[in-house]
Amino acid sequence: MIYETSTLAIAVFAAFVGAVLALSFWLGSRAKSAGGYFAAHGQVGWFVNGIAFAGDYLSAASFLGICGMIAFFGYDGFLYSIGYLAGWIVALFVIAEPIKRLGKYTLADALNARFQSRGLKLVAAIATLVISLFYLIPQMVGAGALVKPLLGLPHWAGVAMVGVAVTVIVATAGMVSTTWVQFIKGTLLVIVCTVVVGLILNRGFTLPSAPIPASAVQSLAVTPEGTLVNGALRTRENQLDARLRAEYGTGFGSVAALPDGATSTGPLGPITYLETFADSTVTTWKKATDGAGVTTFTPVERKGADLLLPGANPTFKGVRDDSLVAKLDFLSLMLALFLGTASLPHILIRYYTVKDAASARKSTVVGIGAIGAFYVLTLYLGIGAMTSGALDPTDSNMSAPLLAKTFGDGLFAVISAVAFTTVLGTVSGLILAGAGAVAHDLLKDVFQLKLDDRGQVRAAKIASVALGLGAVGLGILFEKLNVTFLVGWAFNVAASANLPALVMLLFWKRTTKEGIIAAISVGLVTSLAWILGSADTLEKVFGYSAADASARALVPFSQPAIVTVPLGFLTLVVVSLLTPRVQRASERAAQV
Amino acid sequence: MSQPARANRLGLVLFTLYCIAYAAFVLIAAFGTFEDGKATGGLARETPSFLGGLSWGIVGGFGLIIGAFILALLYAAFARHDGVEA
Repeated sequence: MIYETSTLAIAVFAAFVGAVLALSFWLGSRAKSAGGYFAAHGQVGWFVNGIAFAGDYLSAASFLGICGMIAFFGYDGFLYSIGYLAGWIVALFVIAEPIKRLGKYTLADALNARFQSRGLKLVAAIATLVISLFYLIPQMVGAGALVKPLLGLPHWAGVAMVGVAVTVIVATAGMVSTTWVQFIKGTLLVIVCTVVVGLILNRGFTLPSAPIPASAVQSLAVTPEGTLVNGALRTRENQLDARLRAEYGTGFGSVAALPDGATSTGPLGPITYLETFADSTVTTWKKATDGAGVTTFTPVERKGADLLLPGANPTFKGVRDDSLVAKLDFLSLMLALFLGTASLPHILIRYYTVKDAASARKSTVVGIGAIGAFYVLTLYLGIGAMTSGALDPTDSNMSAPLLAKTFGDGLFAVISAVAFTTVLGTVSGLILAGAGAVAHDLLKDVFQLKLDDRGQVRAAKIASVALGLGAVGLGILFEKLNVTFLVGWAFNVAASANLPALVMLLFWKRTTKEGIIAAISVGLVTSLAWILGSADTLEKVFGYSAADASARALVPFSQPAIVTVPLGFLTLVVVSLLTPRVQRASERAAQV
Repeated sequence: MSQPARANRLGLVLFTLYCIAYAAFVLIAAFGTFEDGKATGGLARETPSFLGGLSWGIVGGFGLIIGAFILALLYAAFARHDGVEA
């Protein structure tokens, strides 16, 4: 769609992002050593760190991706909310405190604490880089989705803006300013979303002025002469939703029938809102692309109660299928979400910014509170967007900002700015995790370059610039994918590569360094290979039709975790049992 | 590696509880909700939840999110009582 830009929105946005960058510079001037750069001197208070967890974790995938998925498919997006939050239970009860005790700056530090093995550091650092890069893609795609409606700029411009801003943040300041950016963003995101949900409940549901008939099909064709909307060249007057607005008084995404024949509900409470939705009928839009590249959007009426069940989205359709293999795909994704959080390097390094294990624990509790509050809100945001009449049927990632626009340009600007800082906060954390892996793990420990404190920081800054550029490229390449779907992949890879090593290192004394090296390598390679050979990738990345993709897929279902995580555990156990265990003096002393 | 044993044991008990709840939720979604692609029970409204008009899908989903926070609070409170600050 073509978006109208608003001066107010741009001004609010510019002020907001400028303030965050200024703060970042100011804080950055105070952290010069490696301890300051990578771990904020271990001096961040537990409450600030807890909210920063939320800022780090509630990425574009959560805010833009989940809201978009709920807006398009209902409950399926909410399943991500549930899985993402459940993962924190693993982090809190199993991983947080030992990780804090074992490590210094990076995940590889913790895994290698007992072994001092260069091989292990190498593998762990590569895993960190791969996972962080995978996680970066959706953040960049999210940034592109934001600037389109806000600034009227093309996708690549948004990606490049985030790339530059983040590289500046990370390259100038490191963990101190990253923490504060994440703290501010975490706070604002929860507050602003609460306000929007209040407005959604207050608005309730209203029917469009005329019912949308099944014949109100809209079409979009990209031709050499330009983009055609319903057969005519696209202009500001002839847009995808223009005819809908003129004839039915609403855009995409509206209520078709309310309970008891009502035309408007007025304000609703949080429970009655969901009950009313379940009893209503909603007009959703089925998208189909024919061989000639013409995309049609056909209105489909669906029961609210059905939209509050899993399986409407192709990613989750297996849940409604009677075949076990199809169900395994769903179970595998839910497993990856559960186990992935505690295996994400950029989350784990945040445990090095607090002073001790007790602070690590307390900050996780604060994090779970803030993140949980946000995820409860996502269901309302998604349903609000689904019935707002403001969706862009070509891009689910824009649903949340477009929902905010229905409440006025001011709120739209604030939401967009918060979402943009959301991307900034998460991307900074990711790039920092990757830069730490390069400078601290690879250059200093694996290649044994003689780097002093300042040398390490300089190397990390150069690495962050390189990572930032790589992420910009990938963000442009993957424009069309739902960002939370992409993050699902990152969770699969993280859980497969890191979780077996982390858990067994903490709970099985017989674990050897060879076992850990093998488990990380096998988990990383098999999960990546599985994703590459899956029907989802063939369809969504390489552009095969759904039927073609499933015929050519090398694996029976798309989400690898349910196979590759147990495989990682098995590899670790077998290799550990086959290799001698070297016990160190310090360890013997500690066990007494 | 010295572990604050009680905090860890409490952590593992709470972890197991949560795992059971999460697994139950996911398994009911996968195996107890649909038959031949039609919603028949489980998370669907055909199985009434204790909050009348809301399905187990909604109640269970919110429950898992809010429940995680409650377990986390319990853990924080009891780990402190045990005097196992590291």
